[in-house]
Amino acid sequence: MDRFRKGGGDDGNGEVDPALQALEDRQDEVLRRLQELKATVDGLAKTVTTPDADLDASTLSSAPAQPAFRGTAHLDSLLGKDLGALRDVVINANPAHPPLSLLVLHGLLCQRYQVLSSVHVHSSVSAVPPPLLSCLGPRHRDSYARQRFQLGFTLIWKDVAKLQMKFNTQSMCPIEGEANVARFLFRLLGAAPQDPVAATQMDGWIDMAVFQLAEGGSKERAAVLRSLNSALGRSPWLVGQELSLADIVCACCVLRAGPAASAPANVQHWLKSCQNLGHFDCVYPLLQ
Amino acid sequence: MTKENVQGAAEEEQQAQSKKALKKQQKEAEKAAKKAEKQAKLAAEQQEADEDDFAKDRYGICPMVQSQQKLDRALVRVQDLTPEKAEQQIWVRARIHTSRAKGKQCFLVLRHQQFTVQALLAVGDRASKQMVKFAANLTKESIIDVEAVVKKVEQKIESCSQQDVELHVERIFVISQSEARLPLQLEDAVRPEGEGDEVRDGGEGRATVNQDTRLDNRVIDLRTTTSQAIFRLQSGVCQLFRDTLINKGFVEIQTPKIISAASEGGANVFTVSYFKTSAYLAQSPQLYKQMCICADFDKVFCVGPVFRAEDSNTHRHLTEFVGLDIEMAFNYHYHEVIDSITDTMVQIFKGLRDRFQTEIQTVNKQYPSEPFKFLEPTLRLEYKEAVAMLKAAGVEMGDEEDLSTPNEKLLGRLVKEKYDTDFYVLDKYPLAVRPFYTMPDPSNPKYSNSYDMFMRGEEILSGAQRVHDAQLLTERAMHHGIDLEKIKAYIDSFRYGAPPHAGGGIGLERVTMLYLGLHNVRQTSMFPRDPKRLTP
Repeated sequence: MDRFRKGGGDDGNGEVDPALQALEDRQDEVLRRLQELKATVDGLAKTVTTPDADLDASTLSSAPAQPAFRGTAHLDSLLGKDLGALRDVVINANPAHPPLSLLVLHGLLCQRYQVLSSVHVHSSVSAVPPPLLSCLGPRHRDSYARQRFQLGFTLIWKDVAKLQMKFNTQSMCPIEGEANVARFLFRLLGAAPQDPVAATQMDGWIDMAVFQLAEGGSKERAAVLRSLNSALGRSPWLVGQELSLADIVCACCVLRAGPAASAPANVQHWLKSCQNLGHFDCVYPLLQ
Repeated sequence: MTKENVQGAAEEEQQAQSKKALKKQQKEAEKAAKKAEKQAKLAAEQQEADEDDFAKDRYGICPMVQSQQKLDRALVRVQDLTPEKAEQQIWVRARIHTSRAKGKQCFLVLRHQQFTVQALLAVGDRASKQMVKFAANLTKESIIDVEAVVKKVEQKIESCSQQDVELHVERIFVISQSEARLPLQLEDAVRPEGEGDEVRDGGEGRATVNQDTRLDNRVIDLRTTTSQAIFRLQSGVCQLFRDTLINKGFVEIQTPKIISAASEGGANVFTVSYFKTSAYLAQSPQLYKQMCICADFDKVFCVGPVFRAEDSNTHRHLTEFVGLDIEMAFNYHYHEVIDSITDTMVQIFKGLRDRFQTEIQTVNKQYPSEPFKFLEPTLRLEYKEAVAMLKAAGVEMGDEEDLSTPNEKLLGRLVKEKYDTDFYVLDKYPLAVRPFYTMPDPSNPKYSNSYDMFMRGEEILSGAQRVHDAQLLTERAMHHGIDLEKIKAYIDSFRYGAPPHAGGGIGLERVTMLYLGLHNVRQTSMFPRDPKRLTP
């Protein structure tokens, strides 16, 4: 047996020579590092072409690794005393109008907290397209143990006239409207502006997006796009120096309203930077 | 003088009396004569009529069907009487649901199973006066064969299931005659709950039939549209259960119902004499399901009777019911089994929603309830969460305390409020409240890998991962103070290599009851057995 193996090694047809193996490994390693480098450079190129140029390029190669919003708030202080149960946010949405902005916020919440996400189909709807079933990403590895999570995000596709959120049914009435739910989820990130002027501006943009862009006629839509365009000419984001809920909701409404190519230049630029941040990745598959 | 007077008065009285009597007699005689005359006239008329009854061979009572002849006659089912059949001449076999004669016309409502249609007989060139009279005098619930022409109607017939057509009867024959007096009226038995009372308050007393009368006369009660729909739907539950599991690669098994030892505690088990010794009626096929798993059947299910000798007279307990039992070997986590069972349930709910809409609506007419709501995939909550939800709602209970029935119902309401589902799974029960063969939770020994499933806030399934290790099983049995000798055969079956497995059992009657939102399990048991009822 021993002899046979030795002979085989000498021939070079049987067992692989250790030296050769090491060489191959080194080559793989070099190739891998080259690819990494290429990804970083690509990311860098992207940021240069968009207004958000001060972004750290190294985080771009593997999606946004750093939490986008680093507020100081804690879930206990935001949502009250922990009763030893999963805090489950239930969202009832109509599959005819997928709540794009909430999907973006879900992604942001997942970066900050241990979120147990699940998608259900209510018996009031018969069939839901497959992309909607997987819109919260793949199932978490630990999803069999609900207690290990800080926050539950339960999306139910249901035949509802208006999007609805139920959280603490004992003390809160159901919250209606995608924008209002978005405001609630954004506060959980602890990143809502503290300055009252900025906070009001943010709310203003959100209302404009929801009532005039998403539900308004073509004239109203054009007017909103114009004001977005002029605001985005002055600063990279709609409110303050960083991405805020105003950008998330407005971008989702613009994306849903039609092809990005028909938008004014500054808006297009801004959409591109939103896309580069990676938070909107979950939205694009649903736009087809 | 006084004497004479008295006598005279008496005589007078007598005279008056006799006069009165005479008059009376005369009158009576006259009456009798008139009556006789009338009768004679009637008889003569009858005879006359009989003689010139041109439709004599168009109606009558058939000789008993003893299979003397094989007629080549197609009988159309009542449910198929639709406007497409208009103007066609057809034969129908049905029961007389109601009959109402009105001068020269007679309206019949014919019923077959849960479907009804209006039939009309009018004196004319097709039917004679005698024929209409014959039809009007038929007893309710008699079975008849009718030849008729299907006619469209201008105004919908609200009282029948076939609202767009009626039958114009040309021939009518009785196949089986019912006795005139029925122990209960079908109209009373299908009257929606509460409606009878309201009307009674208004002064127009309308009877309702109570549960015991219904069950005493189950054969008649089962004819009501509601009962027909309930049991057709129940058959659907069984079929969907089988179809779904067989598609998933399950094997149907049959297990003995006469067993030598009680499987789940000894208190609530029926003892039967078995030759020189005694035996028990199976409380569940639990042990046999698990033995089949140890015998490499991997995925098994079993549909059959289950016996519980609990002396409880509640709306949801029976002493014999049909159990739908599942047991399945899994790879690494018992949630594989939960997913399989919940998916089976969802397939059943979907199948009922899509295929049994008529039946659901029929039952809803008498017992209105909200449509059954569910999520796909099924919602799974953990016991701790449920306790937290109950505590938030103001219930005081310990973390490892079992759920009481009122708390189960309250929890059902809370879950429905938040998730809008009537079906959910509660996972990770405290170990202390489950049977000895339940697998403990590896991360917290106070909890277990066990689960219950709920429909409209009532438990329909109780299941768990079972201990498949003989040593741990012995430990758990000892902890529960069980005599090891009695369950030796059971423990021994795990000694020669047993795969990890889990399962659960559902009560067919309960599932039907809760799906339809009914209030008593006796309504969904065809011939219910409870501590007080052994017949019919």
